[in-house]
Amino acid sequence: MNHNLQKRLSLYWDKFGTLVILILLVCFMAIFGPPQFIAPGNLLQIAIQSSITIIIACGEFFAILIAGIDLSVGSVMGLVGMVTAKLIVLDIMPWYVAVLLGILSGALCGLFNGLLINVTGLHPFVITLGTQSIFRGVTLIISDATSVYGFPQTFKDAMGGWLGGVIPSAVVIALLLAAILWFFSSKTVMGRNIFALGGNKEAAWFSGIHTKLYTLLVHTLCGVCFGLAGIVYTARIGSAEPLAGQGYETFAIASAIIGGTSFFGGRGKIPTVVVGGLIIGTISNGLNMLGVSSYYQQIVTGALIIVAVTVDRLFKGKSAK
Amino acid sequence: MENLVEMKGITKLFPGVKALSNINLDLRPGEVHLLLGENGAGKSTLMKILSGVYTPTEGIIKVGEKEYTSLTPHLSQENKIAIIYQELSVINELTIAENLFIGKLPVKKAAGIFRVVDRKEMAARAKELLAMVGFHRDPLTSVSELSISEKQQVEIAKALASDARVLVMDEPTSSLSGEETEQLFTIIRKLKAKGVGIFYISHKMSEMKEIGDRVTVLKDGMQVATLDMKDVKDEKQIISLMVGRELSQQSLRRPKEEGAAPKKVALKVENVTRVDEKVKNVSFELHHGEILGFAGLVGSGRTELMNTIFGAERMKTGKVWLDGKEIHVHSPYEAVKKGMAFITESRRETGFFDNFNICKNIAAVYNIKRTSCKGLSGLIHPKKEREIAAKQKEDLSIRCTGIDQMVASLSGGNQQKVIVGKWLASKANLMIFDEPTRGIDIGAKSEIYHIMRGLADEGKGIIMVSSELPELITLCDRIVVFNKGEIAAIFDGEEATEEAIMAVAAS
Repeated sequence: MNHNLQKRLSLYWDKFGTLVILILLVCFMAIFGPPQFIAPGNLLQIAIQSSITIIIACGEFFAILIAGIDLSVGSVMGLVGMVTAKLIVLDIMPWYVAVLLGILSGALCGLFNGLLINVTGLHPFVITLGTQSIFRGVTLIISDATSVYGFPQTFKDAMGGWLGGVIPSAVVIALLLAAILWFFSSKTVMGRNIFALGGNKEAAWFSGIHTKLYTLLVHTLCGVCFGLAGIVYTARIGSAEPLAGQGYETFAIASAIIGGTSFFGGRGKIPTVVVGGLIIGTISNGLNMLGVSSYYQQIVTGALIIVAVTVDRLFKGKSAK
Repeated sequence: MENLVEMKGITKLFPGVKALSNINLDLRPGEVHLLLGENGAGKSTLMKILSGVYTPTEGIIKVGEKEYTSLTPHLSQENKIAIIYQELSVINELTIAENLFIGKLPVKKAAGIFRVVDRKEMAARAKELLAMVGFHRDPLTSVSELSISEKQQVEIAKALASDARVLVMDEPTSSLSGEETEQLFTIIRKLKAKGVGIFYISHKMSEMKEIGDRVTVLKDGMQVATLDMKDVKDEKQIISLMVGRELSQQSLRRPKEEGAAPKKVALKVENVTRVDEKVKNVSFELHHGEILGFAGLVGSGRTELMNTIFGAERMKTGKVWLDGKEIHVHSPYEAVKKGMAFITESRRETGFFDNFNICKNIAAVYNIKRTSCKGLSGLIHPKKEREIAAKQKEDLSIRCTGIDQMVASLSGGNQQKVIVGKWLASKANLMIFDEPTRGIDIGAKSEIYHIMRGLADEGKGIIMVSSELPELITLCDRIVVFNKGEIAAIFDGEEATEEAIMAVAAS
């Protein structure tokens, strides 16, 4: 490929690549899919379905940004959903206090991950693979492997239903979180320092960035996001399941990297990660509409991750290191 | 005698840049042809054309009898051209012998059917090759156990294994000690005697006379001159060809003023010993407006001392005063807050952020220093950031397309200036430079020296660690000599000579 052309393409790809994929996808479905796909009701449905993916992808974004990863997504979702549900059905506090305590338990899970990573010096992949199993085990113990349900309607409406009967609360929560984290990552010194840490850990240390403190905070932030997703999930289906969130790490990681977050660390941005989450949601919705079974959907999601990373590298002209 | 290689009228265009313009180069059997030039002059591009990585826009490459308009890596190998890059390409996980024959391992038939590697044959042939380069180690040793210079010898033996007639060496001595360099030169002389021709790229002037037969100087993609070594008067002549002007080698030291009040002490270090004892009982003083040099062999503990002063490593005993106040620095963050700066020895590994542009790199420490709570609080001020970066770009004359350019795409010298700018933007008052001119070209080196002297004149305290004695002597007001983690001597800049320093450093 012509050098100059490649450079310009890569620039555009950086900015709009993910959005182009989403638009092409929607166009493809509008033309070849059933007519109901393009109906406003269904498009809103896609947004709702994508919300949880977007929430966890925003957390995963930071873990990948510091050249690490967090695999405990699904288990933290399950654990926090269960803790919140138990607190709500105890009926000794308002539901929103239970939600705050639930999110706090998610933060503690993340803090635990961060501490283990710092103390052992092992790769986050290994640590979070381990805690994924630990957190799931804790969920099974505290729930005795049974579902918890019977929540007040206000909780269900506020966290996973409709606000005033017209606005889907999950979408509001996802967009609000994304907006806050976008501001945090691009406008604050701490956000900038996280990018620096991901780009060059040693240089960050010598420039005065407390690398371990930042690792701890990033994983705590992950825990908060995953926990929030777990609560939204619980409110949407109206029941806390001991196995809730299983397999969601795939969605989180897929959205983050389809959204252009570099696996080598230090590169990416929140808005494209949100688009990445929408792409995952659109594919799953579209395949449903086309009558493809959920078994095949897994194959498509997997293939898409590989294609996205390959295309990304092709346009950036970077070799694997 | 017939030339091994002739490159005629080679021109190479990259989008927007003429990397090479009408270069005519030839190589005779048994000669070392030096290629000199500043970074970006086109030496590596030219050699990549010879190795088939790049296709020339114009020109002919004649190898022996055959003429080509371009080569491929495969064709280049077939024509017995071998390249030894700066970053060695030996495979650490394999043995020496396996590395030598990789891709063409000797095989035998086992049980009459299976083709398996003939280990005995391989070891025997490897031994022969290694003997040729005077390298005596068991060929079944794993390469990961070898030192850098030994790995380089394996690379040379590998080139011999492919029966190379033309060898390209890209800065082979940049990471070798004096003794190892001598060993390499012995091997090069042996190769010459066998009729192998060598293109030799180097930044080190001192190597020129010792092994060169002819020298070609490139500047901005043009061939400035090709000279026989016996026609070269001295290094100065070559340098002025490379740079296009005479570089002053005059001292940048400031003369001592008689009777002037002594400058205030910027940094006082007393009895510093590290937990791992790599630094023992070190005491010294640094004054404002002074450049204090640190000489010593590689591994003598100079970088380790600087790491400790900057808080990146723990000290066991010792006290440090900054501007008369005792300080306890436990992390680089605290050092940054106290106005210290540390330009580390490896730019890529510990210096700049390759995911950031110039602006963000320069603002990195500034942002951390102006905010509280370990950089966790505070917002980015994009306008202020750009102002600061633009000022450093002007002050340090960083050559770039703009402050939005990525640092990774700058030349080594300009990368170094960005790193210096990063610390200046934080208004540091005590600056430690660790090997600030390593791997950058002569013009940029001189610029860095002047920047450092300028900072000292502004009243900052400057420490310079360097393994190049000439630069320490031209620049430093005093020179501390390290030996095995201890201070062996402190020279006044005026009385320091290379011989005197080496005598203390190597004893």
